Amino acid sequence: MTEAANMNIRRRQASNERINIDDAVLVEQSRRGDSEAMERLILKYQNRIYNVILKICADPDDAAELTQETFVKIIENLNKFEGRSGFYTWAFRIAVNLTLSYRQRSAKLALRSLDAEEEHYDSQSRQVLKDFLSDDSSPDPAAVVQNKELCEIVVKAMMKLDDAQRAVVVLRDIEGMNYARIAEVLDIELGTVRSRLSRARSKLRDILEAFLQ
Amino acid sequence: MKRNPDMEKPSSGSIDELLNSFIDGELMAGQQTEVERLIAQDAKIAQRLRQMQQCKILVGSLPDTEAPAEVLEGIKTSLAGKTPSAVEQTWDEWAAKKYFLVRRVLSAAAMIGLVALLAAVVYTIVAPRPITEEPVVIEDRQPPEKVEVIGPRHGVVTAMRFSGRLELKTSTLIAVDAFINRTIEDNGLLDSNDSARRQDKRIYPLSCSRQDLNLLLAELGNIWSELNSATLFIDTEVFGKQVVVDEVTPEQIVEIINQNSPEKRIELAKDFAAFNNIAKHVPGREIMAAIEGRNRSLITIPRPVLTGKQGTIRKPVGRADDKETVHLTIIVNW
Repeated sequence: MTEAANMNIRRRQASNERINIDDAVLVEQSRRGDSEAMERLILKYQNRIYNVILKICADPDDAAELTQETFVKIIENLNKFEGRSGFYTWAFRIAVNLTLSYRQRSAKLALRSLDAEEEHYDSQSRQVLKDFLSDDSSPDPAAVVQNKELCEIVVKAMMKLDDAQRAVVVLRDIEGMNYARIAEVLDIELGTVRSRLSRARSKLRDILEAFLQ
Repeated sequence: MKRNPDMEKPSSGSIDELLNSFIDGELMAGQQTEVERLIAQDAKIAQRLRQMQQCKILVGSLPDTEAPAEVLEGIKTSLAGKTPSAVEQTWDEWAAKKYFLVRRVLSAAAMIGLVALLAAVVYTIVAPRPITEEPVVIEDRQPPEKVEVIGPRHGVVTAMRFSGRLELKTSTLIAVDAFINRTIEDNGLLDSNDSARRQDKRIYPLSCSRQDLNLLLAELGNIWSELNSATLFIDTEVFGKQVVVDEVTPEQIVEIINQNSPEKRIELAKDFAAFNNIAKHVPGREIMAAIEGRNRSLITIPRPVLTGKQGTIRKPVGRADDKETVHLTIIVNW
């Protein structure tokens, strides 16, 4: 793994540690009706929650709507928040559950859409992906980010994962959660997180290699 | 039947799990060392590790996307109608308390005002009125002590004052008329005199005090011998009914006038009438002489005495009754 990718994950993990302290204050202020604290809480998490939702559902409009719905639910249930888990975990649990529920309702529609767009990748993008996967040296994430079509291929590949697998991958590789927190967010066993993530990555690899055929 | 993603590769994935945990830094120190040893010894495992790492990098390298600006506005809009903030709640509670407090104060003020108004109305109705007017019914008036009670009969509105007519007949009308005129002027009764002169009679309607009338009658006594007759007509409470006293003398008139009540006045007048009628037919004329004042010791006219439980009360000197207005019309005929 490259140093840049590791730094990105470590930065998010460090941010998560600070979050807990700040969140407790903001949550308490929000509970007392401090609208400013409430807004700060929203601004603090809206991009991250939106990003996770977007990576799971792959639709910007749906992601925006689900993000809005998530925060409304968070604020409405703020008084029910018992603090047994951190606010960060609780908020992401709401977000992921809402998204997965939404995905279940629209699963068939999403698959049809994905199948329809499968043939439109050009040869250049395929070549970039082939080079990336066949390279035995350490891959450069910056090259992936700069290649917009490659990103689209990865997203499409992720959308071929099961929603549960995709959620684990997103929470680990995008949001940077450790296994224990993923287990808490998804309300599953730690071993399930481990096995699900392993299978998700293995399947993703297979899907990406299938694009090269 | 829904496929369980965790059951896809139930047994063959154990090495992948170990490699992924290694990549994610989720292994214990001993496991970590063991995996490093495997990677170093087995090229296939090392390749598999790279494949897993590539997947992780590909997913982790996807660019973050910021939430649209309308998300925050949408959240605020959604929350505005659903969950008012505690600040707004506190404000609303305070405003509600203030509103109800103001309403209570206004209600209390309105109640107090209403009660005050009702009290004023009730007081106006039931409160005793100050006695600013003379009592209408005489019997309700408490007489002062040591003052003679002039008690009208029950139901009489006001005590009937003396009112009568004195008819004098004389053959010397001019002389008598002149004397009467002068006497009226001397006693200061000119203002009240509205005399009328006719060919055969003179009429003197007098309205003066009892005291003045007594003085006038005393003066008229000087010409009483010049009269052929003197008849007194006393008005009674019954309209048109009069008590007539023939051959009346000035002293009798004074006595009658000085009575304090109409009943006594009428009673005394009747007594005088009967007495004069008897005396007129008695020979010797002693009684008449006595009546005329020539021999007053012969007869004493009994003064009426109250017979009730209430004792006779002497009139206080200078009492207002002497100034009571009486009406007497003197008619002189020939």
